[in-house]
Amino acid sequence: MQAFEKYRSLRLLDSLQFLRGIGVTLEVTLLSIAIGTFIGIILGIIRCSKNKAVSSLPLIYIEPLRNSPLVTQLFLVYYGIPMITNWMPSAFTCAVLTLSLNTGAFFAVLVNNSIKAIPQGQWEAGYALGHGKTSVFIHFIVPQAFRLLIPQAVTLYIGQLQCSSYVALISLIDLTKTGETISLRTMMPFVCWGIVFALYFIISFPLSKLAQYLEKKNEFAY
Amino acid sequence: MYTLSFDFLRQYYPMLLQGAGVTLLLTVCSLALGFLLGIIVAIMRRSSSKIFRAIGAVWVEVLRNTPFLVQLFFFYYGLPELGINTNPILTGIIALSVNISAANCEVIRSGLMAVKNGYYECAYALGYSKFQTLRYFILPISLRIAFRPLTNNFINLVLNSSATFSITIVELMGSAKIISAYTSRPFEIYIIILVGYCIFTFVLSFISKYVDKRIAINL
Repeated sequence: MQAFEKYRSLRLLDSLQFLRGIGVTLEVTLLSIAIGTFIGIILGIIRCSKNKAVSSLPLIYIEPLRNSPLVTQLFLVYYGIPMITNWMPSAFTCAVLTLSLNTGAFFAVLVNNSIKAIPQGQWEAGYALGHGKTSVFIHFIVPQAFRLLIPQAVTLYIGQLQCSSYVALISLIDLTKTGETISLRTMMPFVCWGIVFALYFIISFPLSKLAQYLEKKNEFAY
Repeated sequence: MYTLSFDFLRQYYPMLLQGAGVTLLLTVCSLALGFLLGIIVAIMRRSSSKIFRAIGAVWVEVLRNTPFLVQLFFFYYGLPELGINTNPILTGIIALSVNISAANCEVIRSGLMAVKNGYYECAYALGYSKFQTLRYFILPISLRIAFRPLTNNFINLVLNSSATFSITIVELMGSAKIISAYTSRPFEIYIIILVGYCIFTFVLSFISKYVDKRIAINL
């Protein structure tokens, strides 16, 4: 009994565990953000197509992912995929896969909205100057849409950082799961969850300030 | 080759329906609570007192910058250490409504800011008190402006409520987890749940679009 008592207290060494948890959380988030942004840009541009059939095609992908809980998606991938295929992805692979697909769906909508927000006059101005369709898109629309997109994208990334805590439910040892493990060992849930709470806040608060700053900076009117 | 089979539904659908009922209960209760909290915090953030403004700002920033799951665990496992006994459903409702109140506050606040100063002056000139101005002039207008984003928050709330199964509430996701353990058909059951949530949120956003058209105003 006494031997166990020794391990109960929260020690300085546990901070390393929390650090590793932060590392895993950031790794999952950054990887999925990178892949998701890539997917989102492609789908968002397809969504802007003039052809109705082409532009509504990505909706098949976007709508189910946006309108269902991330937890269900994670469970579907983590428990469902090994059942129907021979592939047994690890928790980390599942987490990155699901989160990037999810980010992709949300990002596609952001890209689409910010391209649509550019007034038609900008296109016409480009044509009047003798540019082709692609050229107008690259030289006129993208730079302006980019300015609209950036603050929204940062907000989305913060949201995804917080959503990445759900991967603890499929037993990936991220910051949330680390907090759970340590709180079970030390029997001090209030302190341990408080630490996790504070750590998440410390990571994401500067980012949300950055988003606010970018939003103010990029405000412009026609 | 694995063959999909949905036969188990015949036996287990009452469980799913029960789960959906609990999800509905959770979301409706926390919608109401979160809405009220959101209004209160939004008004606090607009008040002239510095202390109220600071409390509101801290409330919103802390809640928006921490994951819902951690808040849930903090409430459910952390509070008993302080001597407060927690009950899963009650904790779920409180955590959900506290979480949604931050997002609601931001939306309502932007609605309040959209109301021009002239409306306040007009109300004061007519002899209304500060509270009456808010109650009869400002809130009805700003809530109409904020209606669409509020329903988006509500949809987020429905999606977030699926995480409450981790504090032993048997709502839609929790019942799906139990059924998948009984039948060992996780793929089918989670697909059904996913589609179920999709249909629910589609219906919600359809209704919100309809209502928004009816109550929309131009300032």
